Order: sequence, then structure tokens, then C-alpha cells
Amino acid sequence: MKQRVLYTFVLAALLLAACGGGGGGGGGTVRIGWAGSPDTLNPGMAILVEAYTIFELVYDSMYELNMDGSFTLSLAESAEVSDDGTVWTFKIRDGITWHDGQPLTAEDVAYSYNLYKDTPEYPYMNGYYTPYFDTVEFNENNEVILTLTEAIPNIESQLVFLYVLPKHVWENENKIEYENFEMIGSGPFKMAEYVQNEFVRLESNKEHFSTPPKVDGVVFQTFANQDALVQAIRTGQVDMITEMPNTAAAALDEDPNIELVVGAPLAPGVTDIIFNQIDPENCPVDEGGLCTGHPALRDRDVRLAMSHATDKQQLIDVVLLGLGEPGLTLIPDGLGVWYNDSLVDYEFDVAKANQILDDAGYADTNGDGVREMPDGSQPLTFRLNWPSDSINAPRMAELLGQMWGQIGIALEPQAADPDALTAQCCPTFDFDIIIWGWASDPDPSALLYVYTTDSIPYGSSETGYSNPVYDDLYNQQQVELDFETRRDMVWEMQRIVFEDVVYIIPFYDANVQAFRTDRFTGWITDEAKVELSDVTSLVLLEPVE
Amino acid sequence: MDRTRALLRKLAWSLFTILFVIILNFFLFRVLPGDPARAGIRDPRLKQDAIEVLRVRFGLDKPVINCFESLNPVKFGDCNVNPLDTQFFIYVRNLLQGELGISYHSNRPVTELLAERLWNTVLLIGAGQILAIIFGVTFGVFAAWRARTALDYGAVMASLVAWSLPTFWLGIILLFWGSGQGFPVAGKATPGASTLPLLQQWGDIARHMFLPTLTYTIVYMGEYTLIMRSSLVDVLSEDYILTAKAKGLSTFQILKDHAMKNAMLPLVTVIAINLGFTVAGAIQIEAVFSWPGLGSAIVDAVNRRDFPVLQGAFLLIAVAVIIANLLADLTYTLLDPRVTVE
Repeated sequence: MKQRVLYTFVLAALLLAACGGGGGGGGGTVRIGWAGSPDTLNPGMAILVEAYTIFELVYDSMYELNMDGSFTLSLAESAEVSDDGTVWTFKIRDGITWHDGQPLTAEDVAYSYNLYKDTPEYPYMNGYYTPYFDTVEFNENNEVILTLTEAIPNIESQLVFLYVLPKHVWENENKIEYENFEMIGSGPFKMAEYVQNEFVRLESNKEHFSTPPKVDGVVFQTFANQDALVQAIRTGQVDMITEMPNTAAAALDEDPNIELVVGAPLAPGVTDIIFNQIDPENCPVDEGGLCTGHPALRDRDVRLAMSHATDKQQLIDVVLLGLGEPGLTLIPDGLGVWYNDSLVDYEFDVAKANQILDDAGYADTNGDGVREMPDGSQPLTFRLNWPSDSINAPRMAELLGQMWGQIGIALEPQAADPDALTAQCCPTFDFDIIIWGWASDPDPSALLYVYTTDSIPYGSSETGYSNPVYDDLYNQQQVELDFETRRDMVWEMQRIVFEDVVYIIPFYDANVQAFRTDRFTGWITDEAKVELSDVTSLVLLEPVE
Repeated sequence: MDRTRALLRKLAWSLFTILFVIILNFFLFRVLPGDPARAGIRDPRLKQDAIEVLRVRFGLDKPVINCFESLNPVKFGDCNVNPLDTQFFIYVRNLLQGELGISYHSNRPVTELLAERLWNTVLLIGAGQILAIIFGVTFGVFAAWRARTALDYGAVMASLVAWSLPTFWLGIILLFWGSGQGFPVAGKATPGASTLPLLQQWGDIARHMFLPTLTYTIVYMGEYTLIMRSSLVDVLSEDYILTAKAKGLSTFQILKDHAMKNAMLPLVTVIAINLGFTVAGAIQIEAVFSWPGLGSAIVDAVNRRDFPVLQGAFLLIAVAVIIANLLADLTYTLLDPRVTVE
């Protein structure tokens, strides 16, 4: 009897499975598959890029970041700055409404900026986006008056991620614990349904003041497994995927209904080979600095020789299957105008590398194939570490071992837990070489800071590099208001660190994305940057008839 | 009377084990190197001050434990702090109030987060277990009844293969096959399905469950078939089965009334233990099919050093295993009155 009940249950389940017809996400909804999911929908607390993707779609901010890296005004129709550069007046467009029908005014903008400024628990705000904010006020002309403590050159990139929130919702909530699942915004898409770690479903806001979408909505679905992501686009379960294993790229390219886009991402990442070159005099002992780096790495000649012995193209071909560009400094090509493209990379030339080391007095005196220090004290054997969650690093380590082996340099490769590696790295400087990476902001300041002497005790500096000329330029560009002058400074800074061989940058990763051509048209694929899930792309899509 | 006391003793032991898990759970994650406030956020935009604020918010600025001078001759821990102001004390106090803390990663209460995930896991693994038991027992009985025939050898071979298949590998093969047949490869429901009528919503979930459940069923079915078969083969060689045959009972009656009950004992043990681990949520299957269960929560939490979620999940699993074992003991006495709780 009991068994019969069970069989009935199973039969019923199978029947349901057979007749269920998919459902949801009708004709005009773009279905996007991605490997991540937002950490939180509270814009102050969010850290992950997936959260910011959703904020871009659901909220508006003062500026919008374009695909070519430039900015245009979004919520404001005009922006004026006082002669000394410290008082900004933004005229907010009239007639904008929140998704719940309430009007969006300068009061909401001022409220949001003050919220970000005055909540120290918001990880990026005080330290990075609002440190120069003195006061934020609004007036009856629908204007926001932002007074800065000092003039800064990059107001656009400071404001672009400060999403404007509805005061009438937020003033009643706990600013830190509020999960914001209803997410009332003003942007081109409205929050319809959010299931954490499963999907985000957005509906179009056809009344949006500047970019009303043509599709009915967008769905972001989380795939914990990248093979499933590839399989989902092949079988048409999603219309677009924002990432994939590079190994899948060739197969997807052959599918007539799928198109592949490879290019610089909107938030570019950079992979770096870090040399511990901290001067023992700069060792941040108070912060736990041990500074056990190999002395040879403090010699520019050694780093230069290693650069000449690094076949970046081979690394790209083997590790990324060709989907990347050789790198120069921490400032990636994806940063557009800020990227110094006039620098010429050190050519791959093993003989030259050997010559440099010979001339500098590093000889293999005991004939074991590994060179020793000029005073014969110790061999050029370096510890090489990488975070154990890196997919690319193990293969890179193997290749680097072969490449540098040709110039008499030996490696002791060892993967490390990312936490342990942080503890070992900075500001401890208890390593020789690390393979790691950074994520970038549209403004170059954040990554340029990593090379400064100031950043050594804070753990941002990974190399311990210290150059007063560079430090001066860094401070000047922070406050230089003329765009051209600031860009020249930023380019000069890249030249300095490139010539000092502070890092070897093996490559800048490319974004590999794919979309189906049979359901929507209008994908942007020819811009400087490629981000199919960016709001700029999504508002242009149209269903195929 | 004796029985009650034995039962109480078993309960006490279970509680003691849970207490041990609670303490172990706390220290397990804190002996890991590194700093959860820093983990996963490698970004020059995150300034030192902001990290300090995060530390304070999660209580990581407090000492882990007081040295407990009187109890602890080696004096590990900090002797100069108020024992009531240590991470350990706060952890235990919150636990007693049913609080598992706040997830470092998502800023949500862990209890809420795990509750969502737990239900999904129970749904998936529950269906998988039921199917595995039904098919496993059925095949096991057939194999045993036709022992040493081609059918038996085939069933044993197939079960051995199924049991030894790596779960994630089988999952990926089924994923490739199933996506071609139109089965969804990820998630629990189609986004937007919540707007459909209830019956269609269930249908949608059933379609999403198909591949992960199939994977689960195949893997566990093999185990159950083998155990059922060998146990039943044993029982069928007993004299009382011969007697039953001599009485002229039908095959079905012999199996149902005389053989099965006795043969079920070993299987019950295995099922009960498996059910306990059910809460752990067949981590590999959830990872392959992006099933939003407890297993994927654990994987994510490990990657993000999300200690509160890990602590909560491990506690949940430990409690489930302990309860399942307790239930197995009790079921034993029901199935076979000769077995007593000693």
C-alpha cells in the first residue's frame, strides 16, 4: 500500500515534467547567462561587478560611462563648476519619475550623495568615491550643489557609480542592513523579481527619459558551471553569455546562430607578475613587514633580462588560447585614452637577456645551470607564488620556469591560498615573485596608486617600488584639472614604471562573450569596449520578427 | 523502563556531539590563515579605513578567545581581555538565541539564507532518494530472486558501474545529453515562471529537477541494488523460506511477507546515513546543475571565506546526521523486535 502511494507520486512527477511548458520570459525578454550573481542589491554595500551591472540598469546616476570610456550627463541636463573648481552645480532634468510613480528631484540626489558620504560602513564610498565631498545641497530650482574640499579632475568617474536612490524609500530603512529587494529606481529597467543566486528578472521602463528599451525585459540567470553556460546558449536556453571558458570559444564560433565577441571589457582586468623589490630601508616593519625578497630582484638588470626572456605571445597562445593582448604596465588598454600606447615592449630575445645578466656579473660559477649573485653568495633561485583559485597561473608558472630557465634563473613554484598569499604579500613582502592581478576603475588613479611609496605600508603596493619622481607626478595628476596635461602626466608615469621594469605584465585579458543571432538584433560589437550586458547595449536590442 | 533510560542516554550523547561540533566549528575556520575582511576584495578602491570598519561590523576586531587561565595550562588566547567580549563568547551567545550571524558576503542573516537553500536541497535530494530507493529495491529483489542468472549478473554489473561513476562526471554527461533534449541545465525554475498558474510552476520546477534528480538516482540506485540483493540472497537461503515455499505460497507472498522485512535491515542503515548527508546536498550535483541548495551555498562560502555561512551550514549538517542516526537506531527496533536499544 505504502509502495503504491510512492509509485503514484513518481508518476505524477513525471507527468508534470512532461507537460510543463517552460514558461516565463516571453518573446521580448533577453535572457542572459552569467557565472556570478550580485552580492547585495544595496548599492552602498555592494562589491561584486554583477551587482553594479544591475544597478546600471535599474538606477540612474549623474553621468553615464560610454563604451569608448567617455562620460555624458545623464540625470542632469547641465553641469557648471566654479572658477576654483570646488563648487559643482547640477541642474536635474524635470519630470523624471521613480518606478513607483513618485517624482525624482534634486532632493533625492542630495540625499543619496549625503547617504554615501556619511555611511562609513559602505566599503568604497568614504575612502574612494566621496573623500573630497564637503557638502551636498539642493535648491528649489531642482539643482544639486556639490561643494568639494579641493578641486579634482575626475568628477565624472567619482559620480558615475553613485547611484541616485529614492529618499522616500531609503529614509525609513536601516542604511546598512536594508536588502533593497524591491529596488525602486529610475533607470531603463525595473526590478520585477529577484531570487538571490538564481536570477534577476527586470522589466523595461518604456517611460525612461533618455534610453527607453525596445525589448520587454532582461533576465540574468546564474550558472554555477561554465560548461552549462556554454550548453545553454547552444541549445537556446539563453540569448547571451557574458563569460565562458576560452576552450569553448572555437566550438561556439562554428555555430551559425551564435556570434562571438572578443574585446576589452568595460571594467578591465590586468594580470601581473610581481617582483618584490622593496628597499630594506622602506620595509614597513610596524605593519608586519619582513622583506625577505631575493636581493637580485632589486636590480633592474635582472628584471630587464627576465622581461627579454618572457615570450608573452606564447603565454597568450597557451594560457588564453590567443584571447588576450600583450601588456605593458598596470594601466590596461581597456582604459582608452589613459593607456600609453606609445611604449614599445621589450622584445623577446633570450640571447640579449643572457648578455644583460653576463654584463651585470651574474655568472654560473658552479656549472649547475643556475647563475649566482655577482658576489657568489646565492643562486638566482626565486620563489614563485600564485593564488590557488587562479585557473591560468599554474600553466603560466610552468611556462615561465622554462623561459627563465634559458637564462639561468630557477624557480620554486608554489600555489598559495589567496588569503595566505595576501598575508605573505603586502605589506609583509615575504616573497620573491607572485602572479596575480587587479581589477580596474574607469579612472587610472586607483591603479597608479599601487606604484606609489605612500601605498607601501597600506598593503596596496605589491612590489615595494619607490620613486620620488613618480610620487610627485602621482600627487600632481590627482589635482590637475586640465585633461590634456593630466593625461600627459599619466602617460609619463607609465613610461617611468615601464622603464624601471617594476612588473612584467604578461597580458591584458579580453572579454569573451557570445550572443545568439536568432532572437534579437542590434547588439553593439564594434565599440572600443565590449560589454553586451551593459545598459548601453541592452537598450538598443530589438526582437527579431 | 530500561528502554527509556537507554533512549535518554542516546539523546544525551547526541546533544554532547552537537555541542562538540559547535565548538569545533568555531575554531576550525579561525585556524585558517588570512583575514576574511580582506578576502575576495582585492581592489585598490578599498582603503584601509574601510577594511577596519568591516572588521568592526563583523566583530573581527575582537580577540578570538580569552585564555581561560584556570582551564588552560598553555595559556593560548589573550589573558587581558574580558571573556564576555571575545568572538567565541559572542558566537555561543548568538547561537543560543538562534542567531547564526550575518553573511560577510551578502550581508543577510545566515538563518534566512540557509533556510531558503535547505528547502531546495531537501526537495532535490528527497526526490532523488525516493526514486533511488524504489528502483534500487526493485532491481535488488529481481536480482536476488533470479540469483546467478544473466539478469542477476547484468544488474550487479550495472549497479557496480553506476555506484562507481564519479558524480560530477555523470552529471556533466547527462547535462550535455539533457540540454539537447530540451531539459533546463541550471537553476530551480525558469525566471518569470512565478507569474504562471501554480500547476505550470510545478511543472517548470519538475523539468528543472529532471537532470539533477536523474544523476542522483543513478548514483545511489546502484548502492541500494547491491545491498538489497546480497541481503535478500542471504535471507532466501534460510530454512523458513523453504518452509514457505513448501506451504505453496506464491513468489510475491514469500518475498513480501517473509523475506523483505528481514532483508531490509542493512538497507535501512545505509538509507538513514545517506539521508543525514542529504542536508549536505550532494555538493557536486548542485555545482554541476547550478541548483540553489545548501551544497552550492557551502561551495560559495568556502570561496569567499564566509565563515558565518559555513558555521551555520556545518552545524545544520551535523545535526541532521546525528538525528538521522538516532532515527536509524529507532527504526531498527521497529523492523526487528529482537534488536533492542542497549
